[in-house]
Amino acid sequence: MDHAMRFAEPDSIEEVLSLLAADPEARCLAGGATLVAMMNAGLTAPSLLVSLRKLPGLASIDPQADGAVRVGAMARHATVAAHDGFAGAQAILAAAARRIGHPAIRTMGTIGGSISHADPSADYPTAITAADAVVEIAGPEGARAVPADEFFVDWLETALAPGEIVTGVVVPPDATDAAVHYEKFTRADGDFATVAAAACVALAEDGAVAALRVAAGGVAPTPIRRREAEAALIGRPLTEDGLAALGAALADLSDPIDDMRGSADYRRRLLPRIVGRAVRRAAAAFTARSGARSGTGPQAGGVA
Amino acid sequence: MSADGDAPTSVGLSSPRIDGAEKAGGKAKYADDLSAPDMLYGAIATSPIPAGRILGYDLSEARAVPGVVAVLTAEDLPQRRVGSFVKDETTLARGRVRYVGEPVAAVAAETREAAELAAQLVLVDYEETPAVCSLDEALAADAPRVHPEQADYARQGDAAAEGNVFWSAEIVEGDPDAAWAECDVVVEEVYETPAQYHAYMEPCSALVEPDLGGRFTVRSAAQSIFYLQGRISEELDLPMARIRCVAPRIGGGFGGKNGVNVQPIAVALARVAERPVKITLSRSQDIEMLRSRHPARIRMKTGAKADGTLVAREAELWFDAGAYVDESPAVMSFGLLCSRGPYRCPNVRVRGHAVYTNKLKAGSFRGFGNPQATFASESQLDALARRLGLDGLALRRRNAMAPGDHWLGGQRVDACAMRECLDALEARMAAEVPALPPPEEGWARGVGVSGLSHISGLMGTSAAVNLRSDGTVALSTGVVDIGQGSDTVLPQICAEALRLPPEAVAYAAQDTDSSPYNWKTAASRITYTAGRAVMQATVEMRQRILEHAAELLECGVGDLELAPGGAVRIAGSDRSVSFREVAARAFNRIGGPIMGQHAFAFDGPRFDPKRAAMSNFAFDNLGVYVFGAVGLVADVDRETGKIVVQKVWSAHDIGRAVNPQSAEGQVQGAVVQGLGYALLEELIWEDGRLANPSFMDYKIPDGLDAPAAITPILVEDAPEETGPFGAKGVGEAGIVGVAPALANAVADAVGVRLTRIPMTSERVLDAIEGRASEAPASRTA
Repeated sequence: MDHAMRFAEPDSIEEVLSLLAADPEARCLAGGATLVAMMNAGLTAPSLLVSLRKLPGLASIDPQADGAVRVGAMARHATVAAHDGFAGAQAILAAAARRIGHPAIRTMGTIGGSISHADPSADYPTAITAADAVVEIAGPEGARAVPADEFFVDWLETALAPGEIVTGVVVPPDATDAAVHYEKFTRADGDFATVAAAACVALAEDGAVAALRVAAGGVAPTPIRRREAEAALIGRPLTEDGLAALGAALADLSDPIDDMRGSADYRRRLLPRIVGRAVRRAAAAFTARSGARSGTGPQAGGVA
Repeated sequence: MSADGDAPTSVGLSSPRIDGAEKAGGKAKYADDLSAPDMLYGAIATSPIPAGRILGYDLSEARAVPGVVAVLTAEDLPQRRVGSFVKDETTLARGRVRYVGEPVAAVAAETREAAELAAQLVLVDYEETPAVCSLDEALAADAPRVHPEQADYARQGDAAAEGNVFWSAEIVEGDPDAAWAECDVVVEEVYETPAQYHAYMEPCSALVEPDLGGRFTVRSAAQSIFYLQGRISEELDLPMARIRCVAPRIGGGFGGKNGVNVQPIAVALARVAERPVKITLSRSQDIEMLRSRHPARIRMKTGAKADGTLVAREAELWFDAGAYVDESPAVMSFGLLCSRGPYRCPNVRVRGHAVYTNKLKAGSFRGFGNPQATFASESQLDALARRLGLDGLALRRRNAMAPGDHWLGGQRVDACAMRECLDALEARMAAEVPALPPPEEGWARGVGVSGLSHISGLMGTSAAVNLRSDGTVALSTGVVDIGQGSDTVLPQICAEALRLPPEAVAYAAQDTDSSPYNWKTAASRITYTAGRAVMQATVEMRQRILEHAAELLECGVGDLELAPGGAVRIAGSDRSVSFREVAARAFNRIGGPIMGQHAFAFDGPRFDPKRAAMSNFAFDNLGVYVFGAVGLVADVDRETGKIVVQKVWSAHDIGRAVNPQSAEGQVQGAVVQGLGYALLEELIWEDGRLANPSFMDYKIPDGLDAPAAITPILVEDAPEETGPFGAKGVGEAGIVGVAPALANAVADAVGVRLTRIPMTSERVLDAIEGRASEAPASRTA
């Protein structure tokens, strides 16, 4: 009876890919925050753990020439949370990273590991969906890039093909210079979200919504967005009716489950309320920031 | 008095916990940190079904795992059932399994991995039988029996067992049937409370080392080395002389380590393997295998005069005990005893039932049946106050017990600062509640209060003390410090009686080979009972010190007094001898140290059959009562149902705080555990299987969930005359009133009263929005 698990620590992506290709039961070990917990709980027993720790350049966060920011797959949550090079909507990644688990988890866990696991109650999937980020993938067939909202396919299921791994997340530049808010509703500190919403909001000088992106998590097998509902709010002042319409549109798309964090019924009720809070708070942050920049103090941006 | 007055040298000082630095610094050694040469690892195979017959075992695959040394089932163990009240348990399941997670077989192997793998490969042939996984199922007329053999079990008393109800008890005072007619207002409600997990930091663990003489040394997480020794002896048919139990550091107990856990299994494995064996449970195993707080359903009815004077109280309590009796008769009986609360009420009838279900055992847990009863009682008092348009504190003050009053059951209460606690709470809240920043927009603020009370005492204990040749003191008791602070507080009591600083007293580690007997670290009893034994042992030694000193100083004993810092002097003079000189003389004269020892069992007032009719009560002798009151400010989010507790004040009739900081820590910890009970914590079963046996799914409050401020108020207005320096216990009282105070605050904030805890956000929102709740809860197919 052979129950031994093997461990490899390659120093090139090619070697990682060939190890994965050779053994369908192999799993990549990034931070281990989720995988090792699942192994300890007896939920998974990989034959081979391929550590990504020694791969060069995978942990860095790098600005790109076009204003995008590339977050390496092995960047720890704490590093992303503290990163000050995000601009506009990109900052939703840092806002979400600050709310993941506890300090010990934020020190271990990585963005690549989190999105590859694709738990819809986790924080990064929702955040990168709101930010229109693109997931960089390496695989036996070569490298490819997949937009976040195509990357998450189903509960704990991604667009990764067998043998592929995430190498990074590219967060596009945000010309609207939106302010962000990540609203996370939990039972207790450090828990996964019962419902979460990531909002990126920019306002025009007259207070009308200039840009709006909102993703919700914990309410469906994947993070959800309603772009047409977002668009319907552009060019008008933010109103409770408008927020309710956005919340209702997201609720239509939601497909929550009953679990220990709450019933599906509760999640459906929370969803528009949490979305409303996220958008209002992002708008308020935008207003406060503009006020601070112009020296005139907050004016527009309240909910009419 | 002497020139240096009677300033305390030790009692009343907040000396740092003696084990604080080593615990905070990660150096403390718990059972799992220990190992022994040639040690094996143990693992336990458990039942995957809630109810069934064991038809047979196939151990061949388990035995074939490389490194496996021993595999045991009930067939390898003595054929005996054990239990304190009803002998219904076996070390490993015999013939039947009764809950998912029940130990069925045990393995010892060279590595932890081999042991765990082999445990998974133990094949048991089960015939599944119908299970009862809730009170309703267990109480149904045609319910399957959790213990079809129940009639054959040895037990204490007959206790009105019927069907799955294995113990019913009752207390009646006055004439409740007639009294309802005198009431101006009557409220009646059903309350429900959850199974709470102890969530001690250290999962249960034991290291057992056999020696060639056939003795076993057991180092494990347990709340009593002596109870453990006795229970291992009973389960495995070994004389106590062959079992030595030693206490390492214990990472919390809260009642969960009150009984045995993995220790008898580890001894059985070590006996067969003839090698040391260590078993440490994973968190999930610990949750699924051991104990919870009893889930309870309580129907309660209270009547009062228009001015708030209580007239009558009726209650019926159903405690879901899980698959084995364990301590349930005592827990349920104590819940009954607390069903009137710390109030005068002349007409009372309370009935309680402990019920078998196919779930893990419910057992002892901080509060011991009292938090369930008090949730009902103090929620109901608040509802009554609202009906009458009275202030909640005023209603409680009007009915509060005072010295000389009697507890339900007729025991006279001599020391009682209930009213002083209500006054102290009211004063602090009046000053501090208005100063809190207002709630966030959309949140409603509520203020809630609850009275509280508990016992401090029970059973026997003893202490021994001796004067070392250098004049320092060696103190020894059998008390295990599970985190409550006895390693610090008991030496403080000893030191004060000798006018020494705390550090002059060395406190021995606990070992059944050498420690004086102590029952358990339980029942908020240690400072009061063990402190009393320590006090008396020290007083006895002090007398002998004075006798030696009198001979040295050539005077009468009556001329002498203790001087601070370890000396005896002739009162009013500067002629003195040091403890060192006295000790040296004693070693020469009597060949060893001056010693003192004392043993006692609680000897105070008892139940009074002339005042109360009691049937099937699980004990007849308790201890002294402690009183208190808790108040809190909570904000409720009307959109989500989320409750945020802003501040808590908890006033305690402590008699005398031996170590104020340590007592405050007990109160704060109890309040946070009480908030977990009120807000978050509930073990949930789905078809007989626990659905949340991990900290991923079962949440307890952490530092960021705890209120920004928990203010303990130690009320020392009513010293307990029989207690050491007036002290009585505070370990459990702090948890008792938290849930009702919070339910009362929620009612104040949003006008709806939750009668079921935990008050999860979902349940609160459902109550606000007036809809039937679909919130996570136990369910059966």
